[in-house]
Order: sequence, then C-alpha cells, then structure tokens
Amino acid sequence: MKRYLNVLLGVLTAIGGFVDIGDLVTNAQVGARFGLSLVWVVVLGVVGICVFAEMSGRIAAVSGRATFDLVRERLGPRMGFLNLVGSMLVTLLTFIAEIGGVALALQLVSSVNHVLLVPFVAAAVWIVLWRAKFSAIENVLGLLGLTLIGFAVALWQLGPDWGELASTLSPAEKPAAESWATYAFFGVALFGAAMTPYEVFFFSSGGVEERWTRKDIGVMRANVFIGFPLGGLLSVAIAGCATVVLMPQGIAVETLGQVGLPVAVALGKVGLAVVVLGFFAATFGAACETGLSTGYSLAQYFGFQWGKYVRPRDAAGFHVILLVMTVLAAGVLLTGVDPIMVTEISVVFSAVALPLTYFPILVVANDPDYLGEHCNGRFANLLGVGYLMVITVAAVAAIPLIVVTSMGQG
Amino acid sequence: MTGSYDAALHLLDRQVVDSDGRLVCKVDDVELTVGADGSLVPTALLVGLPALLPRFGRHLGDVLTRTHAQTFEAQAGRAVPDVIEIDLVEEITSEVHLSVPRKGLLQPRAEGEAAPERIRLGDLLGLPVAADTGTGLHRRSRVLDVRVVPVPDGRRTVVDALVVGPGRPGALLGYDRRSEPGPWLVADLVRWLHRHARVVALGPGVEIDVPRGEVRISERASVAPLLG
Repeated sequence: MKRYLNVLLGVLTAIGGFVDIGDLVTNAQVGARFGLSLVWVVVLGVVGICVFAEMSGRIAAVSGRATFDLVRERLGPRMGFLNLVGSMLVTLLTFIAEIGGVALALQLVSSVNHVLLVPFVAAAVWIVLWRAKFSAIENVLGLLGLTLIGFAVALWQLGPDWGELASTLSPAEKPAAESWATYAFFGVALFGAAMTPYEVFFFSSGGVEERWTRKDIGVMRANVFIGFPLGGLLSVAIAGCATVVLMPQGIAVETLGQVGLPVAVALGKVGLAVVVLGFFAATFGAACETGLSTGYSLAQYFGFQWGKYVRPRDAAGFHVILLVMTVLAAGVLLTGVDPIMVTEISVVFSAVALPLTYFPILVVANDPDYLGEHCNGRFANLLGVGYLMVITVAAVAAIPLIVVTSMGQG
Repeated sequence: MTGSYDAALHLLDRQVVDSDGRLVCKVDDVELTVGADGSLVPTALLVGLPALLPRFGRHLGDVLTRTHAQTFEAQAGRAVPDVIEIDLVEEITSEVHLSVPRKGLLQPRAEGEAAPERIRLGDLLGLPVAADTGTGLHRRSRVLDVRVVPVPDGRRTVVDALVVGPGRPGALLGYDRRSEPGPWLVADLVRWLHRHARVVALGPGVEIDVPRGEVRISERASVAPLLG
C-alpha cells in the first residue's frame, strides 16, 4: 500500500512540478497568437523529455551518476567546460525568470510592484534551499502546483466547440497574419521550454539525492511516463484557454496576469485565486529546482560534494554557490528587467544548449560499464537518436530565428 | 584494485568517493612513473586546477595554467597539483572508491612535481606516434589511451599497452572499445572514425619520449586490433 502511495505521490508531484514559468508564458503566448496549431511541438517536447529523463533517471538509479558527471566523463574536460558555461548561463537565466515569476505571482495578489518583492522572494528561495529537506521541497511545491489544473477546468467551463478546436490542431491552421519564421521561432521556444536542460540535471541529481537504486526504476518510470505527459496536458490546457479567450480578442500575452485572464473569465475570482496559487507554487518550485541545478552542475563538473542528502556544512561549497546564484539572480531582477522577457530569452537559449547535454546521456545509457543489464533497448535508442536529430535542428535554427524574427516580434 | 582498464576511458574525469561515501574530487589527471626497468606504473591521481587546466589543449591549456599560477603569486606551489596515492584507491567502478576518509586528504607532493620519471597521463594522451610503415599503423596516429593491467604478484598495476589511432572525435565514447550495439548510428559512426585504432603492447619496439613529444613505434612492436 505504501508503495502505491509513493508512486501516486511521485506522479502527482511530477505533474505539478512539470510546469514552470517558461511553460506558463510560452504556452499562453503561443495560444493567443497561433491557436492550437503548435500543440504538436508540445507533444514532441514532452515525449522527448520523457525519453531523456527516463535514461538519466535510470543511470542515476543504477550507477549513482548524475547528468553532469556524464557530461565531463564523455565529452572530456574542454567540451564539458563549454557545456558547463552554456548550461549554467541558461539555467541561471531560467532561475532569474522563475524568481521573477514568483514575484509576479505575488504582485497579482498584493498589487505591490514585483521589483520590491524580489529581495523577499530571493531570500525565501535561499532559506528553503538551505534549510528545507529535498523531499519536502519536491512534495509540497509539486502538490500545490497541481492547482494549475484550474486551467483544464477553465477550458472545460469555457465550453468551446470541441470539434472546431480540434480542427485547429494542424500546422496548416497557422493564422495567416503570422509568418512561417515566427511560427518556427515559437516552435523552437515551446520545444526549449518543454525540454529545458535543467530538468534532466535536476531529475537525475534528485535521484541521487533520494538514493534511488535499481528497485526504484519502476517508480521512476511511472513518474516520468505518467506524470510528465499529464503535466504536458496542463501546458496544452494553458494554450487552449488562451486560444479560446485571448486569440479572438487579439490580446497578446505580455504579463502573468494575462496568462491567468481566461481562468478569471471562466471561473471568476475563486478560479483565478486557485491558479495564482498554482503560479506561485510552480514558479517557486522551479526556482528551487533551477537554483539547485546550478549548484549540481558546477559541483558535478569539478567533483566537490553536492546535495541536500548531506548536512550543509559537509557540502559547504555547494551551498555557497546556491547563495551566490540567488544573490546574482536577485541583483539582475532588481535592475527592473521584465521577468517575462527573461523567460522568453531563457527558453530559446535552452534549445541551443540541448544537444551537448542530451548526447552524453544517450551514450552512457548504452554503456554496460555503467548500467549492466539496464542498458537502453532498441526502442529507447531509436527515440534517442531521432530526438538527437530534432534537438540538433532546433539548436542550429534557434539563433538565426531570433535574428530573423526579432524574438518573435516580426 | 582489480581488473584491467583503459585509463582515459575508465579512470580520467571520474568522481572520487571516500570511505564514508562522501564526494572528494574528480580524477583531473593520472600520474605515471617510469620504473627502473622502463615499465610505466600509475602511481597517483592528480587533483585540482593545476592538473585539470593543462588538459584544455596545448595552447589554451598553457595559457590557462600560467594565468592560474599568476593570479595569486604569493602562494607557493600554485602550479603543483594535489595527489592521491594510487594505493588508496580501493575500487574503480563508475566512481573511484578510496579506502580512507576525505578529511585533509589532498596534498601536493612534498618534493614538488619535478621528477623526470613522473609523467602525466594528460601529457601522454595526444602525443603523435612516429611509426615504421611495417607496423601498419595510420600515419597520423596519436596516443588515444593507455591500457592498465594488474601485475600478477599483488595489488600493483602497470601500463601494458597503448591505444593509438588517428586523433578523431569520439574516443571517449567507448564505442571503439566494445562491440555492444549502442544506438547503431552513433556507434557505427564512431567505430568507423576509429577503424584505424590499434592496441600496441609496451615492450620492445615502443619508445615513449615525452620531453620530445613523440612515441616511436618500430616493426618489432606487437600491434593488435582494438575491437574483439
């Protein structure tokens, strides 16, 4: 019984923890501008993150190696360092965006300008990273994040013509006013938001934190293969709400409030309050995950003690990095930069950083020295290689698309 | 420590874990000592930026190492890496297990690093190979890895062979060393890139000359294919 409860808890927190500021903003923006014509990219991204999260989780469970260990072992110190710099930049950008997202969510409740809230949010994030137990962070914030189901309820309450809505799923339904270049730009952004590298850093390091062994592979797979796709459905519900409410009015999403607007229309104040709680939990949870991920990747590259499974004094270097990163993120936000803009940049650059992270995972997932009998099967390899190609195309296309479309404006 | 392993593939850059299961460091480089009989013995793991930075490539590595040494001039031994004696290594799996706790473990050699008989694995890797045509080695061969085997008489290990081949990408992926399927596209590509790689047994006909930066292999050397 306890085992089933554990599986259930894992799946629920995986759903609630799946969505972060990048998913919230990008899905709402895309829904408002492109309807559901880009949903296929979300599906592609969610399947992709499942494929690689399962591999990295399996490696962590069997060999105890987290993702950045593999990066250095398989790419060597030089390419590994290049990846470290790239991933750290993207993860730090995401961390900034998440802290900004928490401040924006609190601004929706308190009407206090988000810049004023940033120092308090950053302090709260750091205290949680320092003091709270790993499982507590994951479970509490993951479960609270489930309130984002409000978007699915709102979509149902809005009562769109489902047949008509489903007919807009095809890429051919791209609104005529938008160019194919902007369509491709938002495609890459959605893909980057779904597959952000920090998710595998965090997932695999979390596996090491929680002392997974071979026996936990089943539970891990349930989390990934049930939790992530259901989390992905929340993403689609956010896009769906924006399609039904915002697109006909020609409202472009520029604030977090606009992301929640369709829920206010469908469910009123209470519904809005529930999803704002969801915004808070999702962004706060993701802020913890990205903050930890910066420490994980640096420590795993250089080899010093990391993790919340030891006392902070035993992983002092790791905790210093968390503190420095939090101060840095707060400092950037205090310049008054728009967190939504930081989010947009972070998801696109995620796409650039993907191949160098996912390639070593695929290689090691095939290495019997690490995995013994738990090596990749034919199907996992087929998907892995296929995705590696898609990821490479997205990475190569990302920067030209930024230039051509001026970050999706054109 | 038991079993044979390829040092670059199975030891370099791995996580070092102490006897309490705490993380210590990475294997930034490996110290090899040339014995009186000419044998090459792994004697220590080298740790820290002075060991890691030179591995960033010939030019970049030099610049980084020099810069690192100069950043805090007053400190002696900025360019000398810390060592973990190989005797303290209990087991090499996907991590390197030590037989002692980590506290106060990392120290540079008291006499510094300057001893002609000590060479770094990182300096050996990538050395160009000057091979006689009769050996059948590719003419642009470089040292890709060293194969370490246990000595029958006890716990010691010794370098038994060099893996040489054209210095193409992918040697660290391990597909050239084993025949498991892997994702076929990647594995086949790496194996094709490394089709000229060979294992050259240390012994007669093989001369490692680190100061002059080359390895000379004559027809007397025993050369075997890498796979199988």
